[in-house]
Amino acid sequence: MSTKQFESTLAAAAFQKQWFGELRRRVFDERRPYALIQADVPFELFDLTDIPAVSNQWWSSIVAAKRQAPAFLSAMAADGIPGPLCRYCSLGLATTRYPKAGDAPWGGLPTPRLLCARLTCDCIHRVFSLWADAFGAELYEIEHPAASELPPKWWELTRHRWRELIEPHRLDFVAGSLERLIEKLESIGERRLDRAALRERLERVNRQEEIFDAARKLIASAPVTPVRMTEQIANVMATQWVRGTDWAIAHAQHFHDELRARRLGRRRVCENEKARLMWVGAGLWHDTDFYSAFEKSHGAVFVWSMYLAFGPDAYIRYGLDDPLAALASRTATFNEFLHNPPWAAEWTVAQALEHRIDAALVLHPKSMKPSAMGRFFIERALERAGIPVLRVEADVVDALAWDPAAARKAVAAFLEERVLE
Amino acid sequence: MSLGAIDELRAGFEQPFWALGRDVASDGRTVVVSWPSVPVELVRAAGLAPIFARGRNAPTPTAHGVLEPDLFPNRLRQLVDAGLTGRLAGVAAVVLPRSSDPDYKCFLYLRELARLGTAAELPPVLLFDLLHADSPDARAYNADRARSLYADLASLAGQPRGDDELRGAVASANRARTAARRVQALRAGAPRLSGVDALPSLGAFLQLEPERYAALADAAADSLAHRAPLEAPRVLVAGEPVDGAALHAAIEAEGAVVVAELSPFGACGTETDIDSSGDPFAALAAHYERVIDARLPVGALMQRLDAALVSADAVVISLPPDDASFGWDYPRYRELLARHAVPHAVVHGDPAGSLTPSDRGRIQSLLDDARARREAARVY
Ligand code: SF4
Ligand code: SF4
Repeated sequence: MSTKQFESTLAAAAFQKQWFGELRRRVFDERRPYALIQADVPFELFDLTDIPAVSNQWWSSIVAAKRQAPAFLSAMAADGIPGPLCRYCSLGLATTRYPKAGDAPWGGLPTPRLLCARLTCDCIHRVFSLWADAFGAELYEIEHPAASELPPKWWELTRHRWRELIEPHRLDFVAGSLERLIEKLESIGERRLDRAALRERLERVNRQEEIFDAARKLIASAPVTPVRMTEQIANVMATQWVRGTDWAIAHAQHFHDELRARRLGRRRVCENEKARLMWVGAGLWHDTDFYSAFEKSHGAVFVWSMYLAFGPDAYIRYGLDDPLAALASRTATFNEFLHNPPWAAEWTVAQALEHRIDAALVLHPKSMKPSAMGRFFIERALERAGIPVLRVEADVVDALAWDPAAARKAVAAFLEERVLE
Repeated sequence: MSLGAIDELRAGFEQPFWALGRDVASDGRTVVVSWPSVPVELVRAAGLAPIFARGRNAPTPTAHGVLEPDLFPNRLRQLVDAGLTGRLAGVAAVVLPRSSDPDYKCFLYLRELARLGTAAELPPVLLFDLLHADSPDARAYNADRARSLYADLASLAGQPRGDDELRGAVASANRARTAARRVQALRAGAPRLSGVDALPSLGAFLQLEPERYAALADAAADSLAHRAPLEAPRVLVAGEPVDGAALHAAIEAEGAVVVAELSPFGACGTETDIDSSGDPFAALAAHYERVIDARLPVGALMQRLDAALVSADAVVISLPPDDASFGWDYPRYRELLARHAVPHAVVHGDPAGSLTPSDRGRIQSLLDDARARREAARVY
């Protein structure tokens, strides 16, 4: 594993482990409820009703990083669930359904009081209902009405003109769904949701994302890259799952300040930076070393992934008189931002230009069908903008579907032939 | 008469999508739909005729450049290919329901291709979004979407339409459904028609003008009723719903008869009538929300499977490479089928193409098993 250049990265990892330990203690010793939720469910509502929430995608990334994914996924395949189905969102299910197949990190997930998912992709309802059955726990689903109008340059609308991002009938429906979710959470937790506290929390989320925005600008404008993409991700992920809390804001600031100091001190990821790369797609959690593998050999540095950039552009909402509507406008548009034409392609190109990207590696996730869609549009838009693209076929959690040596060889050839000529 | 009627029904099912682009004048009154989760009554009441995109064993070289491999079913590749090669230039609209991720993404792709100028000759592309939640909010949302689609289609057709036209269209479709159920009834118990004949005879309901459909389906049912039953293992086709009879043909070529399919193109399309005495939009939305598609809640799907098993000796589960949804149900299928002691086989090839050798092998072993069980049941 590549050494960490940031102290905040180590602090983020330590915090997550301790947070999870505390969660297990609360669940087992104090018999307190917790919820297992999809990454795009508004965490804020859970936290404000005193029900800690674990993100499915976070758990998957931890299982994969501990190199346990192949064992659990093989058990799922042996159970007759076809290999091409989505593995990212179902790895957690596999750790519960086949507990003996592998060694789940940190003692494994305790039984949640509630599972909660937004029905974005077709598979989510299926995966979560199997998971709820495996736990014997309740599943709460949030319907996802589909967008038919996607106005250009979404990131210029999210902050102040968020009502224009989403058709009124969808906004109303999602806000209503969040009202129902709040009623559910209030019936489980011991706390009623205080609307003033929700507004304050969203303001604090804004604060956190503003700090990340400043960090992003530091990275984009730095003459040479001061922070590895993997360390950006580690710091962003740890804070996003508890966003708007005291720790999250303080940690975002810690990361930002460390970044600024490194930039001022002209410290860089790679002594010999020649090519600035972007990674388009979810992270390869089972092989994060891949992202620093071309620094020495080619002077190629991964500068950008969606994780840091997405927070400021997608989460910040100003004008919080109706905080639930603001939260609904964020919740309803996630998938469109990241995957759907024209939004995903437009944003990726704008980010590439802002970060002076020389080449892009675009993930074609082998087993995440809905999120594998729209990739051709992104690739074409990047190439049209003069940015060479390498398509990378991989599964983000399943190491068995990945040949690290062959992948490195392909990237090296791409860099030599199309980027560093 | 039965053969004549079935042939006409088959033509009404098989031909319309492939005929698009040949006669621009008649195309102008048609709406191309990607899945039967869009109420045909809405389209007809607006003064237009629905035609459904369908898969077939033919390459789609133009779509190949814009659709990522293995993510889109054959029918959508055919639809995009038709759109990019100008074959849809004359139609009034393309409507894609949000019945699966691929259908929804196809809507976004077509819109974007039109915006980029890659598909310059596309007609208006519309989305129809039905939610499956069992809540008053979702029901109101769905009724509202139906109302909005009706208004859009009526305005494209250039004629204002009201609730009365819609109620009339529902009543005609119900009459056609009654006739379709007579055909389907002949597949239960001792089947009197093959799946290769039945599926198009049922699927034609979606495209033929309802009175014409009812007359043909009644005629087919009348004469088939006197036929001798077909003696062969009775198969139910499940998994990703089929949109044509190619898989049926392949299964029946191995000496079986397909008696039902979990598909809105077949046995499941016309099971129940629509009561439009109240708000017709709410009634239509409630009916079409139960259509089998990739977003139908799994509990509802399993009930359909349970009901359809009554007359099946074996089940073929189709899980092609583009499936992102139905494969998750496999553990539930396995459990339910084991409870009913009905054997099954899973096939992975494109159901609109020809069988792969390994799929054929699985079907042959399944049918051997089913025959042995039938034999044993006869002996004891
Ligand atoms: S496509 Fe994305 S959200 Fe959907 S199941 Fe897969 S990883 Fe999850
Ligand atoms: S599909 Fe995209 S948004 Fe959904 S979980 Fe996967 S990476 Fe996240």
